[in-house]
Amino acid sequence: SGELYCSLPNPRNVHFESINMKNVLHWSAPEGTGDGVFYKVKYAVYGVGKWIRKPECRNINRTWCDLSSETSDYEEQYYASVKAFLNGTCSDWMETTRFNPLTDTKIDPPMVSVSSTDRSISIILTAPEKWKSSPEEESISLLQVYPGLQYNVSVLNKKTKKRWFFSISNNTLIVPWLEPGTAYCVSAQIHVTTPILDSGFSKEHCITTLKDK
Amino acid sequence: LSMTEIRAGFTAIKANIQSRDPIRTLSILSHPHSLHKVKSADRCCITHQLFTFYVDKVFKHCRTEDSFVNRKISSIANSFLSARRKLGQCREQNNCMCGEESTEKFKQILANYEGLNVTSAAMKSLGELDILLDWMEKAR
Repeated sequence: SGELYCSLPNPRNVHFESINMKNVLHWSAPEGTGDGVFYKVKYAVYGVGKWIRKPECRNINRTWCDLSSETSDYEEQYYASVKAFLNGTCSDWMETTRFNPLTDTKIDPPMVSVSSTDRSISIILTAPEKWKSSPEEESISLLQVYPGLQYNVSVLNKKTKKRWFFSISNNTLIVPWLEPGTAYCVSAQIHVTTPILDSGFSKEHCITTLKDK
Repeated sequence: LSMTEIRAGFTAIKANIQSRDPIRTLSILSHPHSLHKVKSADRCCITHQLFTFYVDKVFKHCRTEDSFVNRKISSIANSFLSARRKLGQCREQNNCMCGEESTEKFKQILANYEGLNVTSAAMKSLGELDILLDWMEKAR
C-alpha cells in the first residue's frame, strides 16, 4: 500500500472505552515520543473482510477517536486499529481485541425520582438510553437492549441508619410502613443478569415523609 | 440451562480464546447470515443444531496448555450437554421442527467451519460463544 518503512514504536494500549454504547477508541502515544505524533484509525466488522478508514480520525494528534456510529449495531462485533506517524516514519497498525458492544459497554446508574406521603415513599427509576448520533434519532432505552435488566434499590432511614435493599424488575417501587416526618435516602443500581453487567449506584436522593396528620 | 453460568465461564476465558483466533475476516456463526435474522419458528431447531455442533465438533478440539482455561471449557461443555439433552426431548415431542431456512443456515455454519482446519475452526467457534449467547438471550 505504498506505506513508508515503519520503524516508529507502536501506539500502546489500543482499546475501546464504552458507556451506554458510546464506543470511543483510546490509545497511548508510542513510547518515547513527545509532541508531533499523528495517527490514522481504521475499523472492521468481525467476520467481514475489509478494514474501513475513519476519515474524521485521519492525521489527528489526539489519542482517541469516537467510533460510536460505526459500531452502533450491537448484533455485530468489531476490531479497530491505529497507526502512528512522526517525522516521515510510521509505526505498525496496532489492533484492539474483539469488541462486543453488548457485553463490553458500561452502564450508567438509573435516574431516580422520589415522592412521599406520611408513611410511604414512591420511587420511579429510569434506565439510561443507548447512545444515539443525534437528538432527532429515536431513543432506545437500555431496557430494550437488555431484556434481563433489573434494578437494585437501597433505602436508608437517616435517623436510625437502618437500610433496606430491594431487587425489582419493573421501574416503580413503593416502600410502605415508614415513619412520618423522617428523612429517607434512596439510591439505585442497574443489574443485568446475562450478560453480566452492573452499573454503579446512583447518587442518593433524600426525601422526608410528611408529618402525621 | 444456566445461561449465567455459561456466560460467566466464557467471560473468564474470552480474551484468552479470542486471542488464539487471528482470522478477523471470517466468522462461523455471524456471517454471511446473522443468527439474529432467524425466524422465531426456526429458533428451537437452530439452537438444538448449534448445541449439537458445539458438543460434537467444537469442545473436543479446544484443549489448551492452560489448565484454568481447560476447566472452564469443560464446564461449559457439560452445560451444553445437559441443555442438548433437554432440547432433544423437545424434538421428540415434535416441538422443535426444522424448517428449510434453519437447515440452510446451519449448512452455512458447517461450511464456514469446514473452511478452516479443525483446530482453528474449533477455537474460532468457541471464541464466538458470546454471539450464540447474545442471540439466545435476546430471543428469550
